[in-house]
Amino acid sequence: MSRNGKGLIMRRRRVLQVGAGVGALQFAAPFIIQARGEQPVKIGFIDPITGSLSALAVTEVEGAKWTVDQLNKKGGILGRPVQLLVEDSANDTGTGVQKAHKLIERDNVDIIMGDVNSGIAYAIMGVTAEKKVFHIVPGGHTDPITGKDCKWNVFRTCNTTAMDAAAITGELVKKFGKKWFFITPDYAYGKTLQENFVKNLQKAGGTYQGDMLPIANTDFSATLIKAKAYKPDVLLNNMGGAAQLNCMKQFVQFGMNKEMALGGALYELETLRSVPKEALTGWWVMEWWWNQPNVPAVKSFVDSISPAIGNKKPTARHWMAYVSIMAAKLAAESAKSLEAVKMAHALSDMELPPEISLSPNKVKYRAGDHQLMSDIFVGQVQPPGPGGPDDLFKVETVVPGEQAAGPAEATGCKINWPA
Amino acid sequence: MLQLVLFNLTNGLIVGTFYVLMALGLSLIINLSNVVNFAHGNFLAIGGYFAFVLTPFIGFWGALLVSPFLTAIMGYVIEKLVIRHVYARNHIYSLLLTFGLGFILQDVCRYIWGPSPLPLNIPAELSAAITPDLFFITWYRVFMVAIVAVAVAGLFAFLRYTRVGMRIRAGTLDLDTVSALGVNVSALRSYNFAVGSFLAGLAGVLAAGQLGLNPNMGDDLIMPSFIAIIVGGVGSLTGTLLGGLLIGVASALTTVFYPSAAEAVIYVIMALVLLIRPRGLLGEEGMLQ
Repeated sequence: MSRNGKGLIMRRRRVLQVGAGVGALQFAAPFIIQARGEQPVKIGFIDPITGSLSALAVTEVEGAKWTVDQLNKKGGILGRPVQLLVEDSANDTGTGVQKAHKLIERDNVDIIMGDVNSGIAYAIMGVTAEKKVFHIVPGGHTDPITGKDCKWNVFRTCNTTAMDAAAITGELVKKFGKKWFFITPDYAYGKTLQENFVKNLQKAGGTYQGDMLPIANTDFSATLIKAKAYKPDVLLNNMGGAAQLNCMKQFVQFGMNKEMALGGALYELETLRSVPKEALTGWWVMEWWWNQPNVPAVKSFVDSISPAIGNKKPTARHWMAYVSIMAAKLAAESAKSLEAVKMAHALSDMELPPEISLSPNKVKYRAGDHQLMSDIFVGQVQPPGPGGPDDLFKVETVVPGEQAAGPAEATGCKINWPA
Repeated sequence: MLQLVLFNLTNGLIVGTFYVLMALGLSLIINLSNVVNFAHGNFLAIGGYFAFVLTPFIGFWGALLVSPFLTAIMGYVIEKLVIRHVYARNHIYSLLLTFGLGFILQDVCRYIWGPSPLPLNIPAELSAAITPDLFFITWYRVFMVAIVAVAVAGLFAFLRYTRVGMRIRAGTLDLDTVSALGVNVSALRSYNFAVGSFLAGLAGVLAAGQLGLNPNMGDDLIMPSFIAIIVGGVGSLTGTLLGGLLIGVASALTTVFYPSAAEAVIYVIMALVLLIRPRGLLGEEGMLQ
């Protein structure tokens, strides 16, 4: 310790600081105790905010933030404020798993949500099941998540690839014919999607050819040359994101839209906004659509969220995040607990109220596989309609989730609850 | 089947010319400065985004002219501020630096223009096919090939007939001697980096017209450029030209017979070339041995 004058001044100042701190604590103590009683409910949200799926992930996170804000204005969950902890999986499975461990072990989250990337969502399931944490997958589509590898603690909001394929196959066969050509991304999502399409097409007596291409394929001319030579009734573009868009653009540039129909399973409004007007064509599936004139709750949802997202219309990704978080709230409040087993039991087969489901038919996470039985919107992509720049899709038919999904037993899911 | 193969052969040559444009810029920088610029794809994306911003004001044609120059200026500044500090160090420093720089540029694009894909509008007359029989050759693709041909001819003329170009060529062969002869090597490297960035910017505008824009677009397009250089031979711009065309054709022809391997085949070609002739088809001895 310094013996000079400066040292003494420093020591005296330190004593005064400590004294003032101790004094302040006397006033602060009651507030600290109060805050401990209102510890937030923590939701860990893992999504690929960077990487090739970032456009979808950013929208999902946007929807989650808005929902949490709304929840906190209305008393949170179980009377406690809700805290959203967002982590970037960077579209990498290892990173996603690491973030799940971090959220559970260091941040002590009560609930996990994620990931847009099916492979990462699937990997995170392993972590949440082991740690017994309640987990909702808002937007990862590969079938085993609520199929053969389903878990008691995992629920899924978006559709399975089997549901999307089943919803649109009938329309395409009926309207255009049974000879199809597939352009499909060569990974888990694409493979299961094409298998499901082929199964349905063959049931209808159809024939097909197709190419599996790298997920980030940029040039489709070689495959389109093959497709044109095959002379199909329908070209199924199963690619995603920018690849889906480029395939569609080249299809129209090559004049193939005059010779065959274009269709596919999932289309996202985020991607659709970037398609040039002349290429806005084809039959697709939307997992949720903002324009449902017969469902009043949808209009009020759209009116509420739009100002918070740049006055755009909400996309299916906003809806997925909203439904997932609101479902978690319902589960916790029905179970009167944040314990994962109790929440999972509470949410199984619970019918979501219309202001949460935002859909024309009854919607629930069914008990047999924890898959949300949401409505599927089948229709045509169109140039901007009277509803504004986001009026890019005309719903032709709404297929109820249960009808598209088939029985839960057929998915191969067998839920084993912990003892 | 013959028609399918011939169509895809032509298509492969068209795609290959685009790889050539990207690879030439990268090759220039490697040859003179020994820096493997992992951020080259991100310079390409920046060039495309510059065009996206400029098009509403000066149209597609104006943007096509101005954006590559803006990318070149950006490249020149980045070289002066960042890249030059690693020339004297081990290769690993330049690899890590440009790798990190790539991430930064990608996030800058994401922050400014958002993560969603954006379209770059091209003149409507370029979108149509040249004839109904040759439906896969649109006027835009013809235009792209023409631009690449002009750019490649211009680059070779620049390197052959201008003072700076001749110094760059000499520096590629023996930088120490060029320096000993009184040439300002530091400035030469900056100009060279700017020319490489110019070619990336030009490729970015052309790619954006065909594929649209997204912050990751450079990542998807950069690997074929590296492979074109390795196959053609490090140190040889003619080799890069040949390498780009070769992998374009190989990828297109593989799509006819085994589409899943359309991407893998270019890596197989690279592996074979490295095994049989490590310097690449036209590369100089010692550059990669």
